[in-house]
Amino acid sequence: MAEHAVSSRPAAPERGERRAVLQRVAGHPAFWIALIDVALILIFGLLSPNNVFWTLGSFQNLAVDSAEALLLTTGVALLLGAGEFDISQGANVVLSSVIGGKVMLALGSAGTLPAILLGALTCVACGAGMGAVNGIVVTKLGVNSLVATLGTLGIATGAADLITNGSDLAGFPLQLQSAFGSRVVLGVPLPALVALALFGVAWLVLRFTRSGVRILALGSSRESAVRSGLRVDRLLIVLFLLTGALVGVAGFIDISRFGTTNVSGHQTDALASIGAAVIGGASLWGGRVPLLGALFGALLAVILQDGLVVVGLSPFFQLIATGVVLIAAVHLDQQRRQRSGRPGRVRARLRS
Amino acid sequence: MPTSASIEGRDEPAVIRARGLIKTFGHVAALQGVDLELYGGEVVALLGDNGAGKSTLTKCLCGVYQPDAGELELAGRPVQLRSIRDAEAYGISVVYQDLALAPDLTVLENIFLGHELLRTGLLGRAGALARGEMAQRADAALQALGIDLPSVRIPVSELSGGQRQAVAIARATMWTRAGILMDEPTAALGTRQSDIVANLITATAARGLGVMVISHDLPRVMEIATRVIVLRHGRVVLDTPAQGLSRRDVVDAMVGYAEEVHG
Ligand SMILES: Nc1ncnc2c1ncn2[C@@H]1O[C@H](COP(=O)(O)OP(=O)(O)OP(=O)(O)O)[C@@H](O)[C@H]1O
Ligand SMILES: [Mg+2]
Repeated sequence: MAEHAVSSRPAAPERGERRAVLQRVAGHPAFWIALIDVALILIFGLLSPNNVFWTLGSFQNLAVDSAEALLLTTGVALLLGAGEFDISQGANVVLSSVIGGKVMLALGSAGTLPAILLGALTCVACGAGMGAVNGIVVTKLGVNSLVATLGTLGIATGAADLITNGSDLAGFPLQLQSAFGSRVVLGVPLPALVALALFGVAWLVLRFTRSGVRILALGSSRESAVRSGLRVDRLLIVLFLLTGALVGVAGFIDISRFGTTNVSGHQTDALASIGAAVIGGASLWGGRVPLLGALFGALLAVILQDGLVVVGLSPFFQLIATGVVLIAAVHLDQQRRQRSGRPGRVRARLRS
Repeated sequence: MPTSASIEGRDEPAVIRARGLIKTFGHVAALQGVDLELYGGEVVALLGDNGAGKSTLTKCLCGVYQPDAGELELAGRPVQLRSIRDAEAYGISVVYQDLALAPDLTVLENIFLGHELLRTGLLGRAGALARGEMAQRADAALQALGIDLPSVRIPVSELSGGQRQAVAIARATMWTRAGILMDEPTAALGTRQSDIVANLITATAARGLGVMVISHDLPRVMEIATRVIVLRHGRVVLDTPAQGLSRRDVVDAMVGYAEEVHG
């Protein structure tokens, strides 16, 4: 969450204080995105046949569809806060689900529970491993993260295709879906709960801990982080590793929802996650990531996608909208920076 | 020979003591054997024309550059600095003209970056910040230096140039035990803000830290300096107490008249 100007001046009268709270809420990017989310739900509900968009089942569907998107958006938002990108997320989802799936299939005879647990662990470990590779390439090899993760996108996609020969893995234990993928707890799909819990942890870390401040320092001014004695390389590698682990969790959710891998999918995941983070108010120049905004940004894309289908339009409009809004959001951010006398640094960073 | 009248009769070892520092870039001899000392409590003005070697010298003293030859002692101990981190570990810090604050972080977060205070107990072990305590200490430090900010919880990007410089200096004084090097700390500032920074420098030295300031603003820096060192072509051509020194003497040394007169 971005720190907002909290004045430490003497307490104002109560009404003034209430207005200040309102102003802070209204000034928060998350507020407006949340408002758009609600508006879209209303509109799609009105337009959908028999208002099916407003049913519990439809909301549960939204929640479970949001789980993976939220995990990827959380990860990429943290990276953007540190001034880095990750466009290998989709490929990483595929690779970790394939490797985790292989492990699960191999262990099938050893019992259902161990197979599922070890499969899940493998997914997360594989995601974290890919993240660590990204981090090491960025820090130790000095490759700009946009290019580094473009490279690992290719590597992970190719590796997943080699392992599977391009055809999806299936035949996982049925309990994978019944006990996790399509399990509903207190009305909420379990994968969505897991994603929300991990998002909550990320939010707490960014808002209240030393690591959170340091992540934002890395993105706000890499040089000041160095001069303050932060171990920049180590911080970045750990951050890439942990955000990779979030991607690994998404990979596990992916196979447990559908009972199969999706090796030809996830090609626009990075667009969706970076788009959601930026639409939610994250700066591409680092140092500022309102995570709540990213949460509602991730929901926005899912609502659009599901809503378009329900009202009988092509879900592909959502991709077009995301692309357009992403460009517009970055353009506005760029202008805001120039007005405050801080030219964008993307070009400079690409050169380094 | 340079004289160092101001440093005679001191018992404490110099915060920084350099002997015969040499640094070349290709065929440019930026430093050609520089000797100097910096003691706690003094404000040394490091002067010289453009390209005289002031910035190079500062960078050699704080670990950004490694000199090609020469010795460096910090607090009486011979050292080799490989990074700013090394220098900070020995109690030396640098304030640059270009600041190196993180604009999106608050004043508080900037002042404590790398030195964050954690809460006690389990939360602290999880890395939770003790923001209240940090704010108190930052407020106290800012107050002690006479720095007036609307709040320590606003992002640095919302401060004026002078306020940012003040925060950078406050940050340096809070975490520095021995010496602060400042490379043109007022170059981007207006008159009033430069005055504020000048007062800050005096206040910092009064707390026992050694301060070395590079500045092209002769009148102002000579007002606060206790000693003046002039570099010319990578050599020290003047090293003398500031008291009684005229601006004319300094300019002569900077442009080379002094060398011609004294040989
Ligand atoms: N990184 C570098 N590479 C090559 N030459 C350098 C480098 N840094 C400094 N120099 C050269 O060394 C000499 C001293 O430069 P330095 O920056 O120390 O001067 P200065 O006294 O700080 O000047 P100014 O008052 O203009 O800041 C100059 O001739 C400069 O061109
Ligand atoms: Mg210089």
